[in-house]
Amino acid sequence: MSTSRRFFLRNGAFALAGTTALPGFLVRSVLAQAASVAPTRRLVVIFQRGAADGLNIVVPHREKNYYAMRPSIAIPQSQVLDLDGFFGLHPSLASFKPLYDQGHLAIVHAVGSPDMTRSHFDAQDFMESGTPGNKSTRDGWLNRALQAEDLRRHAQHTAFRAVALSADVPLTVAGQVPAIALNNVNNFAVGGRGPAPSPAASAFEAMYGSSGDRIFHAAGEETFDAVQMLRAADPAQYAPANGAAYPASEFGGNMRQIAQLLKANLGVEAAFTDVTGWDTHQNQGSVNGQLANRLRDFSDSIAAFWRDMGDGAEDITLVTMSEFGRTARENGTGGTDHGHANVMFVLGGHVRGGKVYGKWPGLDNDQLNQGRDLTLTTDYRQVLGELVATSLGANNLGLVFPGAAITPNRFLRLA
Amino acid sequence: MPFFRSTVSALLCICIALPSGASLAQTPDTPARNTSARPGYHSPQLQGDARILHALNRFTFGPRPGDVEVVRSIGLDKWFAQQLHPETIDLSDLKQRLAQYPAMQLSTDQLLYSLPSNALIRQALNGRLPVPTGEPLQAIYENQMDRVSARIAQQRQQNPSPAPALQPAPGAPAGSPAMNPEAEAAPNPNPMSRASGDASSQPPISSSMEAAAGSSAPPVDTLLVQDILGLPPQQRVSRLVSMRQPELDAFLKSLRPKERSDLNAGLTPQQAELVSALENPERTVIEELIAQRLTRDIESSAQLQEVMTDFWLNHFNIYLQKNEVMPYELVGFERDVIRPLALGKFEDLLEATAHSPAMLLYLDNASSIGPHSIAAERAARNGSRRPPNQRQAPEGLNENYARELMELHTLGVNGGYTQADVTQVASVLTGWGVTQPQRGGGFEFNPNRHEPGTKKVMGQKFKDHGEDEGRALLHFLATRPATAQFLSRQIAIRFVSDDPPQPLIDRMARTYMTTGGDIAQVLNTLYHSPEFWSTSVDRAKIKTPIEYVVSAVRASDASIDNLRPLANALRQMGMPLYGCIPPSGYSWKSTDWVSTGSLVDRMNFALGLAANRLPGIFADSAPQPQEDPPPAAGQSSDPIANEEARLEAELLPGGLDATTRTALLQQFHDQMAQRAPGAAMVRANPNANPRRAANVLQRQDQLLAGLLIGSPDFQRR
Repeated sequence: MSTSRRFFLRNGAFALAGTTALPGFLVRSVLAQAASVAPTRRLVVIFQRGAADGLNIVVPHREKNYYAMRPSIAIPQSQVLDLDGFFGLHPSLASFKPLYDQGHLAIVHAVGSPDMTRSHFDAQDFMESGTPGNKSTRDGWLNRALQAEDLRRHAQHTAFRAVALSADVPLTVAGQVPAIALNNVNNFAVGGRGPAPSPAASAFEAMYGSSGDRIFHAAGEETFDAVQMLRAADPAQYAPANGAAYPASEFGGNMRQIAQLLKANLGVEAAFTDVTGWDTHQNQGSVNGQLANRLRDFSDSIAAFWRDMGDGAEDITLVTMSEFGRTARENGTGGTDHGHANVMFVLGGHVRGGKVYGKWPGLDNDQLNQGRDLTLTTDYRQVLGELVATSLGANNLGLVFPGAAITPNRFLRLA
Repeated sequence: MPFFRSTVSALLCICIALPSGASLAQTPDTPARNTSARPGYHSPQLQGDARILHALNRFTFGPRPGDVEVVRSIGLDKWFAQQLHPETIDLSDLKQRLAQYPAMQLSTDQLLYSLPSNALIRQALNGRLPVPTGEPLQAIYENQMDRVSARIAQQRQQNPSPAPALQPAPGAPAGSPAMNPEAEAAPNPNPMSRASGDASSQPPISSSMEAAAGSSAPPVDTLLVQDILGLPPQQRVSRLVSMRQPELDAFLKSLRPKERSDLNAGLTPQQAELVSALENPERTVIEELIAQRLTRDIESSAQLQEVMTDFWLNHFNIYLQKNEVMPYELVGFERDVIRPLALGKFEDLLEATAHSPAMLLYLDNASSIGPHSIAAERAARNGSRRPPNQRQAPEGLNENYARELMELHTLGVNGGYTQADVTQVASVLTGWGVTQPQRGGGFEFNPNRHEPGTKKVMGQKFKDHGEDEGRALLHFLATRPATAQFLSRQIAIRFVSDDPPQPLIDRMARTYMTTGGDIAQVLNTLYHSPEFWSTSVDRAKIKTPIEYVVSAVRASDASIDNLRPLANALRQMGMPLYGCIPPSGYSWKSTDWVSTGSLVDRMNFALGLAANRLPGIFADSAPQPQEDPPPAAGQSSDPIANEEARLEAELLPGGLDATTRTALLQQFHDQMAQRAPGAAMVRANPNANPRRAANVLQRQDQLLAGLLIGSPDFQRR
């Protein structure tokens, strides 16, 4: 066992002493579950990097000013997939509509990070660290959520406990709990993919294991643990279930691999991936165009994942976020600039979906943030806090989101 | 790929013991303690060869075998002074190698004309660009026109509604086809993208584009293949020029890897480029761009110039696939803007980047228009006469470049500016654009688009002076103390440590302010600072993927005919060249590059490189001719240990951690005992069966070399 894992156990024990949150956001309460039959819930987190344009994703189609401010890029009322008479999905999100209608998909609008920065880099760091405004945080909210996890949920921790489908470990999952980053599950082997470790792999394992270099000693140990587990799971044999068809995109591929890892019983508790291309400063399009194409890939990939997981989806909660929204008005080049509040999707077997949550601030000129953006009414940590409390049993939300003062059941009252 | 920054763990502290050679006596080469150093600075300093190695690790892409000796004979200070003045270094060998990439000498418009982008090909299809007459250009154009129109037709078939067929693919980055609304859904145009995902495998020569377009291709006669391959070079090329689509792609697709390399055998660089252009002109530009960059990083004797070129290309990051003209613009951006100024005055560099079509397009300034400019008012007048659905996209301010100019290029995010300043900077820079971007036109200042009136940035007034107003702004930004601090910190993070000491940064920033932002002088201050030579920063930096891959190739002194496997490895490790989407560039922080997955990729790359499994790259790890000398003093009688010691000295002059070395040798002995008991015998007695002995020994040495390159110690510089 590595030092970092021992360290975790101390923290985990400490976390057990934390307060119990009462998540109103989800159908079943944690407390309703007996400790002995603790659920193996898993969390899937998706980051839309580049600041997605929430106002064209979940469209407030009854807002007159929405159409006035976006003469060339607004989604016409006749084209939105209406949800509740006020909001409607962008038509490219057609594959989300059944999930919403079935009550699995919830939407939170006017949500985001309260920090006012319009820098992608700062905003992403703040959102991923879970400490808006504090640049000195070096670990991610999801890692701390695992530190705060109810240990009765997952008594055995594996190398795949926190996994990111990316070339390096994103800040969201970085921290004391060891996290794996990999960009292709089928190539995750050293010196060949045979049934036994190659001579080179054995030699590397011994070298890293004996190295006095703390960083590489730890990274080497985690690497070879993970390689061994994945070899046993034989991911090359994977075929999606239930006729799930993933788009042939990088994001589609990542969602497919997350399904693979979840189904392989590797002990994945939290999975992370990101999807880029949302920074639509120019020609973002309306019903068709850049953003429309991005959204089609986004929703089709997530819907395929849901279908692929089949019955296993029951215990999965998936959440999406983006660092900030975009300006309410379109800019001079048929796009939108950096804004503020945005929209989040929450999908899961235990989610009380079919509803757009959050207090709607309005889009009149005097209701806009700094006269230019959707005003924020829900702190994204409120949503995530309820999620980690229910899916991971991480009730010490003070550890996960220090200083955020999350009221566990506040969110529902907003709705 | 990773979009922005990430971190492994805050708790991991970088703290590496001094290598065994650190006790070497001080040599005459050691510079006198610099007078500007803080009095009382008592941190232990690197001495002797450890200094030379440290300098090579930091100011080059890693030492090649023998480099320490070369620097020792020149003198470290003199060597560094040369590196600061690349014009004094003989680069004739490098120039000879770069002659393999003739297109890289062309101006942007020439490059676009002779190797047309797909945007130009669509213009040719629409009749808006005449197809050049005369071979081989006509063949290049017509072949590509055939492929592009086949793809558009295929798109229409799959997606019959008219609008989506004209839109970019879901995989395309935001903003990508902004200038070409008729862009068809192009598959990933990057030829270096991995096919199987395996770093050691070569991507198929024929990309998915050709596969799609050539689906109805006629079958290829194997006799035809032999016939063409048997022709002398000039006739072989002429024959290919005379072939037309879909025959050509079908022929190329039918070639096996060996035949494919036979096709290029004996061709001049111009002929090889033509063959590549016949298959895909746009990809040819991207491949040459990447190949020349890696060639320079690996081969150039002006290493510091290349290290700083890499640094500034990352600082002023441009994403290759922002749009279809970007690969073409990047050629000139790197060649004419970044490299010549990499060790010059920062203000010149800032000016040059601000005027470059690459930056103006990447960060959208070329499309920004003053809301009260003549152009905007004219558009408003025209627009209001049309019904709403026929109005053109309104034109106005775009803040993208203005923000990154301050946040990433000059002041830093804490540089003391506000959102209002961002908007004002964007106004100052309105009118800075590009004439005919699709055809490779250059910078233009368009007064009609310029926002009138006086602007105010951080309390400083900028009067309406057209283009000069922007120049004054750039001068203002380049001379801010915050800029001096930000740049000095970035440079110190690259060269010293992830968390460089503030006194060092202050000293560098003072040099910046007193020398008018002279980058070479700032580096000279760094070189003469005790913090740089402190034993506490020895090997404190973890190599980024580009540093790892290039240093591995340099250390193994590999000969290289094909740079694709290296480009693929960088992509696999999350650091594709010119492939960083956000303007922040890649992180210089060490721990951002250490993860479980990336370690697997690094180990596999090391093994593939040492075993010559990367096509077109040959690293000679074979044992030296054995003279069977008696064990020298300090040498063990274990032949594997001796061989390990020889390879270690070549590949890792800083040495392996002793416990790691012991573990490696133990593994080797155990495995040999289990798997190949004969091998030990063979090494002990190489005359037993010469051929078999040579094979066994070579494989052993390749494995040893791979393990050394993949070792924890090689991950640091």
